[in-house]
Amino acid sequence: MQIEKFYYDNKTVKWFGYAVMFWGVVGMLAGLWAAISMYYPAMNLGLPATTFGRMRPVHTNAVIFAFVGNGIFMGVYYSLQRLCKARMFSDTLSKIHFWGWQLIIVAGAITLWAGKTSGKEYAELEWPLDIAIAVIWIVFGINMFGTIIKRRESHLYVAIWFYIATWVTVAMLHIVNSMELPVSLWKSYPLYAGVQDALVQWWYGHNAVAFFLTTPYLGLMYYFLPKAADRPIYSYRLSIIHFWALIFIYIWAGPHHLLYTALPDWAQSLGVVFSVMLIAPSWGGMLNGLFTLRGAWDKVKEEPVLKFLVVAITCYGMATFEGPMLSLKNVNAISHFTDWTIAHVHIGALGWNGFLTFGVLYWLVPRMWNTSLYSKKLAGTHFWIGTLGIVLYAVPLYWAGFTQSMMWKSFTPEGQLRFQFLETVTHIIPMYVTRSIGGALYLSGALIMVYNLFKTIRKGSFVANEAAEAAPLPEKIATHGRTYWHRWIERRPMQMLVFSLIAVAIGGMIELIPTFLVKSNIPTITSVKPYTPLELHGRDIYVREGCYLCHSQMVRPFRDEVARYGEYSKAGEFVYDHPFQWGSKRTGPDLARVGGKYPDSWHYNHMMDPSSMSPGSIMPSYIWLFDRELDTARTESMIRAMQKLGVPYPDGYATEQANKDLTAQEKSIRASLQADKIHTGSNKEIMALIAYLQRLGKDIKSAPKEQTAMKGADGRDVMGN
Amino acid sequence: MKFIHYVEKISGVSIYGLSSLLIFGSFFLVMLIWAIRADKGMIEELRQLPLDKIKGAGKIPVILVVLLLTGSGAFAAGPPVPSSMDNPFVIISIIVIFILAMAIGLLANVLLGAAQIPVSKQTASAGSAGEKPADVKEAGSYLFLAGTAINGVSDTAFYFISAVILLEVLILLALLYNVRLVLSIHKKAKAASAAVETAAAPAKRRLSWWAKANSFKPVEEEADLDLGHDYDGIRELDNKLPPWWLYGFYCTILFACVYLWRYHVSHTAPLSGEEYAISVQKAEVAKAEYLKKAANLVDETTVKQLSDGGDLAAGQKIFETNCFACHGKAGEGGVGPNLTDEYWLHGGSIQDVFKTIKYGWPDKGMKSWKDDFSPSQIAQVASYVRSLQGTHPANAKAPQGTVYK
Repeated sequence: MQIEKFYYDNKTVKWFGYAVMFWGVVGMLAGLWAAISMYYPAMNLGLPATTFGRMRPVHTNAVIFAFVGNGIFMGVYYSLQRLCKARMFSDTLSKIHFWGWQLIIVAGAITLWAGKTSGKEYAELEWPLDIAIAVIWIVFGINMFGTIIKRRESHLYVAIWFYIATWVTVAMLHIVNSMELPVSLWKSYPLYAGVQDALVQWWYGHNAVAFFLTTPYLGLMYYFLPKAADRPIYSYRLSIIHFWALIFIYIWAGPHHLLYTALPDWAQSLGVVFSVMLIAPSWGGMLNGLFTLRGAWDKVKEEPVLKFLVVAITCYGMATFEGPMLSLKNVNAISHFTDWTIAHVHIGALGWNGFLTFGVLYWLVPRMWNTSLYSKKLAGTHFWIGTLGIVLYAVPLYWAGFTQSMMWKSFTPEGQLRFQFLETVTHIIPMYVTRSIGGALYLSGALIMVYNLFKTIRKGSFVANEAAEAAPLPEKIATHGRTYWHRWIERRPMQMLVFSLIAVAIGGMIELIPTFLVKSNIPTITSVKPYTPLELHGRDIYVREGCYLCHSQMVRPFRDEVARYGEYSKAGEFVYDHPFQWGSKRTGPDLARVGGKYPDSWHYNHMMDPSSMSPGSIMPSYIWLFDRELDTARTESMIRAMQKLGVPYPDGYATEQANKDLTAQEKSIRASLQADKIHTGSNKEIMALIAYLQRLGKDIKSAPKEQTAMKGADGRDVMGN
Repeated sequence: MKFIHYVEKISGVSIYGLSSLLIFGSFFLVMLIWAIRADKGMIEELRQLPLDKIKGAGKIPVILVVLLLTGSGAFAAGPPVPSSMDNPFVIISIIVIFILAMAIGLLANVLLGAAQIPVSKQTASAGSAGEKPADVKEAGSYLFLAGTAINGVSDTAFYFISAVILLEVLILLALLYNVRLVLSIHKKAKAASAAVETAAAPAKRRLSWWAKANSFKPVEEEADLDLGHDYDGIRELDNKLPPWWLYGFYCTILFACVYLWRYHVSHTAPLSGEEYAISVQKAEVAKAEYLKKAANLVDETTVKQLSDGGDLAAGQKIFETNCFACHGKAGEGGVGPNLTDEYWLHGGSIQDVFKTIKYGWPDKGMKSWKDDFSPSQIAQVASYVRSLQGTHPANAKAPQGTVYK
């Protein structure tokens, strides 16, 4: 058989590697910024772009899609070529992929800073960017499958299974969750509302963690760990079982983000049990990684790359055990809406994704530049600073989360809430300070790495095209050794793609379709009416400023929450909410029932200077809302879009009547402010926000009692017994 | 889940839930240690008993798992009826009963197997072998009884529970004694024949518990496991799945089935709404009981103006941290009305002011404070507010409402 000569493309890998380092530092800086502004509100600078509500999505998007995203592409472009014994399918597509992705990131950061957001966590980017992401993702897919098809290796290695599952699932998640109706160039409303929107969003959100932060990185682990340790993979059959079990089960677990919410109970229960069943498949990856190091633990002491990989895999194991535990309802009742969740995700992000990326970079750079690492000692320093950073980050937040939750739930013997909400916030501020120190340490570790790698690159010489040779793929693939049934599919990438898609589609369909089609899942409440035009504007501002990142709108059926906020939330209350704004974190109190709780003037003063109304508050000031004019020209298109989405405004309401109603409501708010000696110009954004806040939770207060009584899925009256 | 009500109380009074968790956890730990230690000695012996010849012996692990899960299921989520399940003693007792019942099930099965040797060797045998199935049945019936006993709170329930536990302990002891007996008989019989072989047999490699738990093959024997795959130099071994991992996976699947069954088919666990109703009911009872003793029963009909300096100071403290944002530091008004003049929107008697603070006037922006402050605290604030009458602070807001005299 003829041996063919060819060259691996290292250049694209190099560019993705540079991007990883750059965006990693940027993303972590944004995170540090947001972390400091949580105890030092002046850090918000009084500017819209630097305020927490916009900084936080910049941080999450930068870290997930820019840092880890480029990390995935760097690792895939390097390993896929070598596992397929082929150069990437097309250098042009590689270029389009690289520059397209960076462009999306830059545009994403700018639009998020400008307040252009869809208001759905981890999917904040607006519709033009959603389309761009889909296009670039398809470019990546073509490039990847092209390479796989022209491979010279008969079977697909386990890393490639993970890459394929990642690609197909992310495509599915992104498309389904980004179904939205454009209102203008940078504004859209999701097709789904309320409970349905929440379910789709967290089906997406959870599986973004699964298929963007986990499966591709497992693929990277399967390539770089055995390479770095020079050890065989511990168990091939464990790979098979944990791969299929993982992708099949992961997709079901989304509803565990919505426990005790207005989501139907059956969907919540599915979220719980599939999360628990996820422990073993997740741990399969950890075990296969750690056991691969059997007989090589002496190398771990010497080699910084392995140190990073071992801690990464261990953090992965910790996070994937903690996740299912947090999905148990009794634990979730404590952890949800607190900093516990933040600590949990950062074990995954800093430990698993961060450290694995660092390990891969330390391994790749010397190889591609044909040299050795500039300083192993500096890499060791990075390792220890980073590890200490993770500990200092996570431990205070676990403490803060648990403490705050216990304070929320605490009653005096007389039956009164023991603590005001603000007291529970000021109590945990020292923990926030410690957390930001941990974050700063982690960031400085990353900077040490950048320096170390820069020095390495300086002393080496880059190999843009790495020579390799292999025999072409034979017509008939001969198998040797013991053959498993699974070898069949490892020779057939397209079948692999289809079977993966089937595996991941099942869970999503079973959870989503009934929630959309079965009416009893969302019992209607007749007193719930569409928002007025002014309130709708206010809602857009609420979304724009990222209020949902600190304030939930979901009173859970707990004694303390009902005492603190009012009657617990019902599914029927959210039918006009495009997008839903339930939130996932309560840095500030829940707002689901804030309407009518305070006078207009309270909100006015509070938005201008929160500490004037709530001394000690860490909420930023929203001073620009008092100057900016409300864009009433948009009213018509907003109402029309809502009508298209099924919100029952009367026919022809959009053209004239809407803005008339808007002006009238605005005037009445101005009058009420005037009564409290506050004189304000007309048509300011603050009026719309006040109108929206004063509307929240009001509809249900006027509802007849029997309509709001909660019915079980099977119709039995659960409040009755 | 029942357990949640206890967990929620950590910062309050009750930590019974945690303590039962502790007991439960330590039981598992002991079981685990026992299982690992037993590996080396007793189980080795047991393994050589012809257990596989007995029908059903293979089911032992299955039975165990079922017992474990149903046990933990009942623990995690009692029936939604607010009954004697609230009593920590009952909860702990039931857990103990379940644990003992599980242990009985395990031992009974072991003994059943062990006792079969004489049966299979000697065709006729009565004695211990005969009574064993009865023990298993008994264990089963206790399980059942334990399940039904939880609804009674009475003395009889107490004595019943104690009796069951005592009986179970006795059965356990009896079973243990029998196991030892059977083992020793078997050992003696084997000793003679084994004595010859052991002298010749090479010393068996001792595996650590960790290696055993993962069914590790020694690294030196790795070549046998190599599948011959080579991906860019990466080889793959064909190690077995770690048994604990695999059985753990099965356990979680079983957990899922039991969970869904209990919440959505048998309805023996409370859904969110039911759980809420239960917790409120319980809190109301606890509150009523406390208030009975605490003599804190002030309401808008019985409240009197307080003049004691301590009360007024307490009222002032509450006012200056909670009310000042709307009513001003000195009660001069701002967002809310001036409290120092003689004009009142909702009446100025101590009863009226108390009522206003307690229930609020939500449509006018005054929130209800009854969930934030106790009745006596509200009385303190109301008295303090009334004491501000005629203080004429600076920047006073214009009068609102009518004159109250």
